[in-house]
Amino acid sequence: MRGKALLGKALWLILAASVVFIAIVPLGYVIDAQFYRETRVGLSNERSLVAFLDVFTSAEYLGYLANALVLAGVVTVLSLLIGVTLALIIGRTDIRRKRLWDTLITLPLYLSPFTGLMAWIALGSEKTGFVNVALMAMLRPFVDNPTPIFNIWSYAGVVYVMTLFFCPLVYLFTVGSLRGMNTALEEAARTSGATPMATVLKITLPLCLPSIFASGLLVFILGAELYTIPGIIGSTAGFTTLPWRIFEDSTSVPVHRAHAAAGGTMLLLVTVVGVWLQGRLTRVAERFVTVGGKGFSGRPLALGGWRFAAAGLIAAYVIAADILPFGALLVSSVMKYSAGTLTADIFTAKHYVMFFTTQNMIAALGNTIFLAVLTGLVCVVVGFFISLTELRRPSFATKALAFLAVLPVAVPGLVYGLGLLWTFLRTPLYGSIWILLFAYVAKFLPYGVMVSRTGLMQIHPELAESARMSGASAGRTMLSITMPLLKPTLAAILFFVMLMSIKELSASVLLYSQNSEVLSVLTWHYMDAGDYQFAAAIGFVQTLIMIGVVFLAQAIFRVRLDRAFGRDTSA
Amino acid sequence: MMPFKRLIAVAALVAACLGSAQAQTPQSDPALYEAAKREGTVVWYVGGPLEGMNAIAGQFQKEFPGIKIETMRLVGIAQYQRYMDETGAKKYIADLLQNTDYPSMASLAEDGHIAAWKVPSFDRIPAQFRIKEFAYAQYASTNGIIYNVNKVTPEEVKLLETDWAAVLDPRFKGRFSVSPMKCGVCYAPIHMFMDPQFKDRYGPEFLKKIAAQKPASYSEVLVTIDRVIAGEQDFTIAGWEAAGAVKMLDGAPIRWLFPRPTPEFGNSWLGISKYAPHPNATRLFMNWLMGDQGQIAMEKLYGSKGTLDGVPDQRPYVTESWYHQPVQYYPVDWTRWDQNYHKDMDLWAATIKAAK
Repeated sequence: MRGKALLGKALWLILAASVVFIAIVPLGYVIDAQFYRETRVGLSNERSLVAFLDVFTSAEYLGYLANALVLAGVVTVLSLLIGVTLALIIGRTDIRRKRLWDTLITLPLYLSPFTGLMAWIALGSEKTGFVNVALMAMLRPFVDNPTPIFNIWSYAGVVYVMTLFFCPLVYLFTVGSLRGMNTALEEAARTSGATPMATVLKITLPLCLPSIFASGLLVFILGAELYTIPGIIGSTAGFTTLPWRIFEDSTSVPVHRAHAAAGGTMLLLVTVVGVWLQGRLTRVAERFVTVGGKGFSGRPLALGGWRFAAAGLIAAYVIAADILPFGALLVSSVMKYSAGTLTADIFTAKHYVMFFTTQNMIAALGNTIFLAVLTGLVCVVVGFFISLTELRRPSFATKALAFLAVLPVAVPGLVYGLGLLWTFLRTPLYGSIWILLFAYVAKFLPYGVMVSRTGLMQIHPELAESARMSGASAGRTMLSITMPLLKPTLAAILFFVMLMSIKELSASVLLYSQNSEVLSVLTWHYMDAGDYQFAAAIGFVQTLIMIGVVFLAQAIFRVRLDRAFGRDTSA
Repeated sequence: MMPFKRLIAVAALVAACLGSAQAQTPQSDPALYEAAKREGTVVWYVGGPLEGMNAIAGQFQKEFPGIKIETMRLVGIAQYQRYMDETGAKKYIADLLQNTDYPSMASLAEDGHIAAWKVPSFDRIPAQFRIKEFAYAQYASTNGIIYNVNKVTPEEVKLLETDWAAVLDPRFKGRFSVSPMKCGVCYAPIHMFMDPQFKDRYGPEFLKKIAAQKPASYSEVLVTIDRVIAGEQDFTIAGWEAAGAVKMLDGAPIRWLFPRPTPEFGNSWLGISKYAPHPNATRLFMNWLMGDQGQIAMEKLYGSKGTLDGVPDQRPYVTESWYHQPVQYYPVDWTRWDQNYHKDMDLWAATIKAAK
């Protein structure tokens, strides 16, 4: 007994040391880098507070931070509004074809932000965007000289594209909770005379607050650190966010590496506050426990005459978030060059021929899949054990480890990538594919910890306690009670991390070597060189791989991604 | 009397024949080739577009079997930083650097991180395309205006060719695009506008007048060109020949013109790492890149203008009727470039922003 406990502690210590090395040491490098004097191309050995003070006290940088936070706030509110509404319709009503809608609502997850951005530039440009060209053609018989309706190169355009990308995250986190919810409270409210709307607002939504808040926090953090969409469109629309400034400070001559590090630290602090707030709001875990030892059955809310309106709402989202961008990406990938109007001579298959006949493309494809699978598995196992020890064996050490493991999510990938580079540069791993694995694990472990924590919080300890009282060992209880109940959540982490790994760019672009290229890096290189059509082809193949990997994994584990976030005992 | 053009053609042919005599072949330096084959690999950190550079590397591999070129794309200052980080950690991976940022390559050479290597074609490379015996510009970048042939009339093309100031004509208001992006080809025209010798002709006031024309501003210079191709903008003043050529050869409805004066500068500086793990293979590759075959391959496969004297122009578009060579070149001043790059580009970005 004592031996097992010692072994457990030793394993935990090894785990803690590994997390500190791969997740915290790079952060240490980033935080340290802001206290050096800058040279034209990097950092000198001389200590200085100039960059730190400039970033943390100047109106310029605080303005960039404010822009990023306001943008992230607006996007979060809109994503929550749309995502939770969609989740309520799918999770708690009797709408038909739920499985199809589920799949379609989560489809944008398979698109990386910058390939999506390419699609929306093709769709939403003022004069030549496919949407405006089509709309104006339709309006022309009725209106003289119709003006373009949509302009992606605007603040509203940035908000629109980001919201479409983040809605599926909110949906996934919320729909699982709604599906697995004990409906006794809702039914009690209804039999007490509450209207359906009052039931949703006073019973249903408060019960899934942990999931809603977790998804809101995640969207806010991802929105605040995203630099591609706000950067490329924002500069044309006339506003600059902190992540874009960090990108410019890191990549333009003269380089402001200390400024970039200080900006990264600033975003890190924002996340620390967010994680702390989440902890405060979800402190009383039992308030949200909806999976107890007693079984239940739920009755979905009847939509009646509202069924068509609800279906119309989902269909509108699916057109905007799936059909238009995926269609535009596919069309772009078979075009020779960008154009607003399509003619037969503009199409070509050469990008796909080139993709499947170029040696480094095939190698990149293999590397991408290998890293995605391995990163997913590591994040599931490590994330689960960190959350389990935090919740079931609460102590300063276990809570601190869980907190530290989540921190890398806050730092813009570009800055964090530099920290990883400096951490691994002197190790034998440098230049190999393994450095990318460590980078991905460090970046995506936070999702493993956060999502498994949400799942564990919703499993009442009374289940495990009952097993222990019936004589089961801790290991047996884990295998027979906790793990089966958590299987959908763990599968969700696996799929989600795999998707994120396939899309990962900012750390990969800093850490890859000539022998460890991945698809996202190649997409970036071709985009960066102005070959948008070939980049679209790589992006489209990347998207198909993501869909294929997830469907394959779902077939193997017999669990669906959209049913797994939050929790769901039905799977 | 022999027409001038024919005279030029004959001279080019003679030069080409002379060049061929000096061409780099497996037979021209068998000892170096044997040593290179024993090493087997060159790791090339490229700053140019991957597709073009891979095609050039592929041509070399065909001509010199047994040597594999492994390309890894790292652009501008990112390449400098990565190389210096690796060097500091004694991780010697790169053999050959191709950096688009002249000051970065000059700094590497000055600090002793680039090996001296006098290529056989050294005397045929003009001085502005060399950094002593350390680095060589693989090609030259020439700035110009890239326009959509369906949006800009022949008359407007003629007007724009006269001078950069033609963009201030009221007819062009709201029709063109610019980019405040910090990159070499983006800076070259701004560098010229801010040249003290042009303070009455251009200068900060000229930048303000351009901004007053309400151009669309894109953070990425290649998006600027893409929007011209799509027809969203009629033309861009943030263009350069190679960027237009690659797209035009794909069928895009664009051409380009060179307003007077026309900035031109050495780009994609090649330098052998002092710590190259495969020095012989790298020297052989460098000799080839800066020799006749390498320059011809670059012009044919990438479409940019070579820097080696005496190589017949292989760019496929130069014989087309619409194409006019630059009339008046503007050579950049690297010292002022290095000193003012950041300041000038910040001024340009602020000027565009203020006009919005």
